[in-house]
Amino acid sequence: MNQTLHTRRRFLRSSVLGGALSWTVPAFLERTFFALDALAASSPIQTLTGKDGPILVILQLAGGNDGLNTLVPYENDAYFRARPTLAIAKSKVLPLSGGFGLHPELVGLKSLHDDGHLAVLQGVGYPNPNRSHFRSTEIWQTASDSENIERHGWLGRYFDSCCEGSDPAVGISIGSPQAPQAFDAEKRRGISFANPSQFRFDVRKSSDPDAAEEFFRSINEMDHEMQGESIGMLDGPTNADGETLNFLQRTALDATISSEKVLETIAKTKPKVAYPSGKLADSLNLVARLIAGGMPTRVYYVSQGGYDTHSNQEGTHARLMEELGAALSAFTADLKEQGNFDRVLTMTFSEFGRRVSENASRGTDHGAAAPMFILGGKIQPGFHGQAPSLETLYKGDLIHTVDFRNIYATILEKWLKVPVEPVLKSQFPTLGFV
Amino acid sequence: MFASIPPSEWTLQAAAHLLNRAGFGGTPGEIQNLHALGQSRAIDFLLGADEESDLFPAPDLELIAPKIRKIRSSYLELDKKEELLATARREERNNGLALRYWWLRRMRETPNPAREKAALFWHGHWATSIRKVKNPLFMYRQNETLRAYAFGRFAPLAKEITRDPAMIRYLDLDSSSAKKPNENFAREVLELFTLGEGNYSETDISEAARAFAGYRINKETGAFRFEPRQADCGTKTVLGTLGMHNGDEVIDIIVAKPQCAEFLATKIWSFYAETTPSKAFQKALGEEYVRTGMEAGKFLRVLFLSREFYAPNVVRHQIKSPVQWLVQMCKILEIPLPPGNVTLPIMMNLGQNLFDPPNVKGWNGARAWINSSTLLLRYNTAGKLIRGGGGTLPDIDKIIPSGLSPEQSAEALAWRLFQSPMSDQLHDQTCNFIAANGTSAAARRDLLHLLMATPEFQLI
Repeated sequence: MNQTLHTRRRFLRSSVLGGALSWTVPAFLERTFFALDALAASSPIQTLTGKDGPILVILQLAGGNDGLNTLVPYENDAYFRARPTLAIAKSKVLPLSGGFGLHPELVGLKSLHDDGHLAVLQGVGYPNPNRSHFRSTEIWQTASDSENIERHGWLGRYFDSCCEGSDPAVGISIGSPQAPQAFDAEKRRGISFANPSQFRFDVRKSSDPDAAEEFFRSINEMDHEMQGESIGMLDGPTNADGETLNFLQRTALDATISSEKVLETIAKTKPKVAYPSGKLADSLNLVARLIAGGMPTRVYYVSQGGYDTHSNQEGTHARLMEELGAALSAFTADLKEQGNFDRVLTMTFSEFGRRVSENASRGTDHGAAAPMFILGGKIQPGFHGQAPSLETLYKGDLIHTVDFRNIYATILEKWLKVPVEPVLKSQFPTLGFV
Repeated sequence: MFASIPPSEWTLQAAAHLLNRAGFGGTPGEIQNLHALGQSRAIDFLLGADEESDLFPAPDLELIAPKIRKIRSSYLELDKKEELLATARREERNNGLALRYWWLRRMRETPNPAREKAALFWHGHWATSIRKVKNPLFMYRQNETLRAYAFGRFAPLAKEITRDPAMIRYLDLDSSSAKKPNENFAREVLELFTLGEGNYSETDISEAARAFAGYRINKETGAFRFEPRQADCGTKTVLGTLGMHNGDEVIDIIVAKPQCAEFLATKIWSFYAETTPSKAFQKALGEEYVRTGMEAGKFLRVLFLSREFYAPNVVRHQIKSPVQWLVQMCKILEIPLPPGNVTLPIMMNLGQNLFDPPNVKGWNGARAWINSSTLLLRYNTAGKLIRGGGGTLPDIDKIIPSGLSPEQSAEALAWRLFQSPMSDQLHDQTCNFIAANGTSAAARRDLLHLLMATPEFQLI
């Protein structure tokens, strides 16, 4: 660690004294910085980075996606009885197997399935489901029981317990400067931004941007050198003298470095395929470029909103499905072109599915269990888990057949290759999709 | 235990610290005025909000719920109904935004900042979110309750809150019945609001829950009523006390426990002083809280007088909450609160949406406010406000008068921005910047921005 720090300091000093505004992160530094630590072999600390290790992409379908009209049980009469106006006819469904097919607009996802890149997890939920967006999202994000409130997010706990010594950009969330709750952590919370161009200290309005930039660097970077502490080690007793200021200085340093790195990476990489328009496609496009540019990020987080379809669901949902399928299809093509597809696993989730029966407004209300999709070059495609019954319901909702934490556990243990318990706080059986 | 600081230690910096923590800071002139009062009178001044000076126009919130009901029960066509409902829901959301902005502006403008600060503490304590409650009027009423009891005794406030429509809806108390008492509500009351973890048993939870069965609110007006038919009038044993307790009696039983005073006193201390107190100090805080009748104003008076509050590991060791950061910045720059379309998205992105704490535990606060994104957002927003992006261009001559030497400018800035001397390094860099870039208004604005884009500026 000392050697690493020394190198980083030298680099910072030279970048400040050299006054170079467009500095880059030299490859040797990256290697040293994230060098394999011999000690880590026997600990849960993960030393692989997003540069060469497995990458996880989380795609949140915010608002509660209607699982039944996403993965349609088109041979089940109960489905058609419950959905007199919203049911999707068998003739329109994109059939997969076993009487299940995709929403007609999920053409992109269908071809991924046909190529063997799609795993479908059925009936995912948790005991005592909560129908509040807010609370159910929190449950998914923190991997808590329905009854308990967890302080930190599940990915935050992964960063904290398994990514010691990693880059501040160990997780990147795109879409909002406010990180998803899943990133909440004690020590390292990843970074998040709505738009990378805003993820920087903005001196463009200064009368002398160069002077401002130099001053800013000297304050937010050099100060750190005086402290002689390791970068990114944010824990420690609060309010030991100078501790709070140190914490802020280290965060400022992290911010400056990640910001430069992100902007640099995006500037030097171009998408290899054409992406459709829309916020989700834009976000996935950025993720692909950050992966191509060799960011040390292990987890990317993007989201698509608008799934709270209480009324006139048909058109809205079709548009969302189309956007989802097309964006994922472009993202996959891009990763394949890059040669990175085998290193990336993409998981979709939504805070809940919707009620089995449609409501009086040609929409659906908040429900419970729903399917999830897993995408990747190195996954076990096909159906996993058991489809929930459409006739034995609980308060009109599907009863989950698999707990979402089994999916998290599978991803942690088999994909990210870290122990489950420090992250999920107890052991959950893994599934076969990885 | 809580010895007051001697008059010789009542310095300008001590006065600034008091104003920062008890309220939202102020200009150098305001700090001087507070200092001139002497410590004791300064504290009385802050804690003695009189009714007259506390008047502030209420937010204009229309009651949307009856409107929604009328639309629902009307015989309009489905599509028309949907359209009207969507409009009504939009109005309700806008009301929520108006309420949020109203409180921020009140914090900026009030002559009684300490009361607003205390109300903010209680808002984080009795955390309730508009996201679930929906009704902005209920949230506003709760806010007025928190303001009314900001410096008041704990037990009456706790009883009010158990009848508060926003809280009742937030924790689903209005469906609690003798047959199915809402244990979750009782759990939050014991764990988060009064005693803290480890000071009660699971049986206490289920017994206490029975006492709150039958609490109901009118869905539209929020009016509280007790529904005897849903109530459980049987005997209950709560924290070792047997009786046919009702909800208020359960509160009295809880509040009488020394653990309750200790839990709350520690939470109040942590909010204002932000250290993690030792077990012995927590005990002392609890005892002091009991001695002051668990009356927040009296307790705060003791804290604000105490040596401990002015200790070196307290002063300038608190990370400003987003609300503190914004309101104090407006005060420092002597500008009004920028309009809602500027401030509300910033508050959301900085992680402190008023009336929308992340969960029933409230905001984690302290270091949780800061990550690389929120820090950069704070830095860039400061630059925006300094250059007039908040609708008012700050008068730079007031902040850094022209004609000062670089040394004098650095000192003036240190006092205004940090209420303490700068580190030698920062001081030298500031002087060098002035020497190199001159003292044009634009250069002074640049410098002001750069000094607000520092880790130091995030502290009070």
